[in-house]
Amino acid sequence: MENIEIKKSNKVDIKTKILSAYIQYVLEHGKEPSSVFKFAQSIKIKEEEFYNHYTSFQGVKSGVWDQLFDQTITMMEAQEVYRTYSAKEKLLSFYFTWIEELKKNRSYLLALYQGHTGFRKSMPEELKSFRRKFKDFSTEIILEGKETEQIADRAFISDRYEDALWLETMFIFQYWLKDTSTSFEKTDVAVEKSVNLAFDLMGKSAVDSLLDFAKFLYQSK
Amino acid sequence: MDKIKEQENIPTSKVQRASKFISAGAKVGGNYVKHYAKKMVNPSLTKDDLHTSNAADIYSSLSELKGSALKVAQMMSMDKNILPRAYQDKFIMAQYSAPPLSYPLVVRTFQKYFGTLPEAMFDTFTKSAVNAASIGQVHRATKDGKDFAVKIQYPGVADSVSSDLKMVRPFAYRLLNMNEQELDHYMDEVEEKLLEETDYELEVIRSKEISAACSHIAHLKFPNYYPELSSERIITMDWLEGRHIKEWLETNPSQEDRNQIGQALWDFYHHQVHNLKQVHADPHPGNFIIQDGVNLGIIDFGCVKVIPEDFYHGYFSLIKKDLLIKEEELNQIFFDLGFVSNKDTLEEQVYFKSVFKEMISLLGEPFHAEEFDFAEDAYFNKIFTMGDRISNDRMFKKSKQARGSRHGLYINRTYFGIYNLLNQLGAKIRTTKPDWLK
Repeated sequence: MENIEIKKSNKVDIKTKILSAYIQYVLEHGKEPSSVFKFAQSIKIKEEEFYNHYTSFQGVKSGVWDQLFDQTITMMEAQEVYRTYSAKEKLLSFYFTWIEELKKNRSYLLALYQGHTGFRKSMPEELKSFRRKFKDFSTEIILEGKETEQIADRAFISDRYEDALWLETMFIFQYWLKDTSTSFEKTDVAVEKSVNLAFDLMGKSAVDSLLDFAKFLYQSK
Repeated sequence: MDKIKEQENIPTSKVQRASKFISAGAKVGGNYVKHYAKKMVNPSLTKDDLHTSNAADIYSSLSELKGSALKVAQMMSMDKNILPRAYQDKFIMAQYSAPPLSYPLVVRTFQKYFGTLPEAMFDTFTKSAVNAASIGQVHRATKDGKDFAVKIQYPGVADSVSSDLKMVRPFAYRLLNMNEQELDHYMDEVEEKLLEETDYELEVIRSKEISAACSHIAHLKFPNYYPELSSERIITMDWLEGRHIKEWLETNPSQEDRNQIGQALWDFYHHQVHNLKQVHADPHPGNFIIQDGVNLGIIDFGCVKVIPEDFYHGYFSLIKKDLLIKEEELNQIFFDLGFVSNKDTLEEQVYFKSVFKEMISLLGEPFHAEEFDFAEDAYFNKIFTMGDRISNDRMFKKSKQARGSRHGLYINRTYFGIYNLLNQLGAKIRTTKPDWLK
């Protein structure tokens, strides 16, 4: 029994060791290591040991993003007031906490993603798992929003809400990368205003009433 | 497209121009918002390309443009046009209007500056704002049985002041019929003051200073400020119980009470201008609270103008009774304060001297009697008609010079504000002058 447990914790240790060593490498060299072999050598593990945990550097980068997400959720839920938040406030709180987490890794993220054009056209592979996690989170928020009628349920369109929120997330990330204002205040504003806009658009609005009215006129002709 | 069209045929009267400028801005913005809204709710149009960034950009620049552009327009116009009626409404509208901050952002601001949550710093803390301040919002909090007002600044305001003003510049040239150089002369002053307004640490220092220096004045109340609970973006002060001027007037206060409040206001400004030489330069109704027993509570020292000695002397010499100053001395003051300059033709010099003399003797009227009844609408109508007449005068319109010292901008605004408040209060005031002017 004991033996297995030691092994397990050992496994986790190497996993995090690879993660932090990788971040360290990027920070120092401003680019990815040239090969897994060299990287494994530099942190004194066997190459095969690396492959026990990750299949490629892509996987490591993906791990960094996962960590960012998990830490954001933990930090956010640690705030007592979070449970009393509405759907919109939860999303705001997520973004604000997330930027705070991003800030801790700003140099790493800048080294990898600065000048990366068009996240929307070609999303980097390593974001896939982060996206899945975010999607689960946003589905829950949208569901809650629909229940409390902060978000309108519209045929066809409401299925795309999650995608819209994902685009917003990437917009915020890219905005933050370019932000040079003191303590990233401009990103705060961008989050606040874009979430307001998103919820205004997803909520019941004049457009719905207009469609409803147009339908009525058409049918009663 | 719309924007270009609007610019080509700018309507002639200044008031019309000002309101057109605002509606044009709103229209362009409205079009964009509608355009993007349509794209966003109709997926076949968008193919997922939702332009979130564009929409957000426009959204934010719109709400900011509204604030600063109006503020500048309104301040400049005051100097040139002596407050035509239509501007007064704009004056109230021009307060920075932004949607309130969400609570998560309030929490974030607290975490950034204090490293803790609002609930941890106070026993209670309202989740939504109880009041909007000019560039922030106010929450009410309690701690150890005491009530506090906690003012939180909108993020990004400080950073956007300079770029906002740059955006406004080209419009302002046309709107105010001034050349670039002249306008910059005022813009610098406005920019400096707006930046100061975003410095909450400075505001706490000044609030403490001025309230201590004015504590001897009867019927004035100042809140205590708490530097240890304040930061660059957050100010904590005592919660002052009471009513805003408008609400208070609805309770039909007696004439004595009105006079008492008015007198407190007058004495407060007299002491600041003539003794402290620095003045709370934003006598906006929202910055005052009237308490039972009737006292005047002063909140918000965001905008403080320090009056330079030489400007002070020249400017207030002008209120000497009936301009009993020698012609020569008056000419010198006009030159010193920049009302008239060497760039003017002789004809212009004569014209503007007479205009300013007329203005000064009318605006200085309250100072010339022992008592003045600000309830008299006739007096204010005289000011408005004079303002309208002068601003429509061909000579006045033709001149592209900015007139008056930059320091006058905020001092004029302050006095217009006080006159206006006293008129609203309908107060009869024992007007006072410093000894050197008697």
